[in-house]
Amino acid sequence: MRFRATVESVSVFYKITQSVEKLQKRFILKFTPEHLHIICNHEANEGGTQVWSLIKVESIFTDYRIQSNSDNEITMALSSEALLAALRSPTASSVSSSSYQAEDIVMKLAKKNDRAVLRFDIIATTAVGRRAKVSHDVVVDVLKPHEVAKLSEPLCPDPNTHILLPPLHKIRTIVEKLRPMSDILAFRANNNGTLQLAIRTETANVQTEWKNLTNPKLNDDEPPPEEEIDMDKIFTVHVSIRSFLKFLNCHVISKTTIACICENHCLMLYVYIGGHADVGGVLTFYIPAIIDGD
Amino acid sequence: MPTEQPPVLTASVHDLRYVAAILRGVNFHNRATVTVTKQGLTVKVEEARTITAAAWIFADIFDEFIYNPETPTDDDFMRTTQDQEIESSSFEMPLNTVLDCLNIFGTAASSTGTGVGKKGWKKQNQDSDRESGDEEAGGNRVEPLNPNASEKHTGMRLTYMSPGYPLTLLIAEDVVGPTTTCEISTYEPEPYLDFGFDPEKVVLRIILKSSWFRDALSELDPSYDKLTFISNPPEMSDNPMTGKSRRRNPTKPILRIKAGGNFGSTEMDYPNDRDVLESFECMQSVSFSYRFSHIAKSLRAVQSSTKTSLRIDNDGLLSLQFMMPPPKGKENNAESSAFIDFQCLALDDEII
Repeated sequence: MRFRATVESVSVFYKITQSVEKLQKRFILKFTPEHLHIICNHEANEGGTQVWSLIKVESIFTDYRIQSNSDNEITMALSSEALLAALRSPTASSVSSSSYQAEDIVMKLAKKNDRAVLRFDIIATTAVGRRAKVSHDVVVDVLKPHEVAKLSEPLCPDPNTHILLPPLHKIRTIVEKLRPMSDILAFRANNNGTLQLAIRTETANVQTEWKNLTNPKLNDDEPPPEEEIDMDKIFTVHVSIRSFLKFLNCHVISKTTIACICENHCLMLYVYIGGHADVGGVLTFYIPAIIDGD
Repeated sequence: MPTEQPPVLTASVHDLRYVAAILRGVNFHNRATVTVTKQGLTVKVEEARTITAAAWIFADIFDEFIYNPETPTDDDFMRTTQDQEIESSSFEMPLNTVLDCLNIFGTAASSTGTGVGKKGWKKQNQDSDRESGDEEAGGNRVEPLNPNASEKHTGMRLTYMSPGYPLTLLIAEDVVGPTTTCEISTYEPEPYLDFGFDPEKVVLRIILKSSWFRDALSELDPSYDKLTFISNPPEMSDNPMTGKSRRRNPTKPILRIKAGGNFGSTEMDYPNDRDVLESFECMQSVSFSYRFSHIAKSLRAVQSSTKTSLRIDNDGLLSLQFMMPPPKGKENNAESSAFIDFQCLALDDEII
């Protein structure tokens, strides 16, 4: 089992980790020859939100070499906080006037005291021009093939509607104001560019509405639906406002986000990394519906 | 209740920051009683039967203000300060929720909990007295969350149908952006606590720039529990009017603010200088103490105001009136300036 890569876009890696770090303490990284998958599938996390992501290797790494007995895939579980801490030091230094400037970051699977670690070797230049080598070891548990086989994405019915969300930081401001008022958020959208975020409590009903958003078609080759659909029909899903806020943490990375409503089932959010033309990856959030909400 | 009747109150404003700043000034208790008259709105709040605050928002602050009395001729009258009988309607609303809704886009101003920090105060213009409404003065009373917010105005339309109906707020940032509709429950108003401040019984009357008062209050440590106003008539060593015992200070300060708690105390003297105290009238030596936490509730109001009037009557009832700067575009019309009125009872054991 060999694994080694240069982290080229450390800030992208950092921001993705940051987006999912709040969700659960440990998450799964699955490296395949083409993709990096970040998986949060714990039942125990806040509200049962799951994240399945697929990121192209070349959007973060260069010099990527991977070798293993199971189709050259390596799957590991690790502490999100520890990974974040390891990535923070080179990220911070490239932005602020830190004590050193990272030049080269190599990530590799190594062994230390009989434990598997993900080692980050950072070659840096200090403020006075000296070369420095900083090394972070993040303890990981490499998953066995039968454990990996158990991982499966949640199954969802066909969504009722897809809608392109407004900038997430704007939604975040609004949802943060709603948070002290209610625990449950109603997420509504139709196929005609309308999105509504609403809460309903004893003291207040608050609803924010966007109009003229885009309803994208995910698959262009999909046959048109047989029966005529009502474009203005509003579909609703109730979700935990805290789970939704945790999803909104990924406003740091998101350029384009598409939300899909599966009524009475879940809210799915596709967060695209990178521009529209060259999508570097997508994070998929599944937020389960609260059925008896409202 | 006839349903075809027009709403009791319809009001709209193109920039809600001014209204939000005034409401924030009295936001120390969640339940606020709103009284609507043709002249405007009064929002009253009380806590612990000891401190009351009222914000007066006049009708011409709004771009549109239509008041339809619910019962044209009824016993529902109220006496205003001008001793005129005018029609009014009142209801109670959860003030915190209203403010959260006004700030839903994060554009109403900085968050309500952080207004006391010294950092925010230093940014404030020392010369906040001038009656100009340019961009700087606008930023003086409300600090926008982000720099872009100062150019973008968030408009608001408020509707109140009649008793039993919710207060409806329609908030929009711009034409293309989202709109927020808030329906906020209203309640039957509780009788309002009136301390009956009598201007005839006033023993101390001071008008000063709010910045001088604000700076003094901001110096005080939050752990203090008591604040005392000490004042003496200028250049009068003794006052024959009262035979009661008085606190004697060797220097006979004309105005001293003294605050203390378990960990220490602070004393601040104001000079008898026209630049500091615009007007100063003291009939007799005065020393009244108040709970510091109560006085501190006025901080948010003093922060956004330009002038402060401080009056104390002979029972120690404190009245603090904060004049707010006139809204943008209406600088010449001093009538439309809102003000906030705080009244606070003195601590019993300190009454002379």
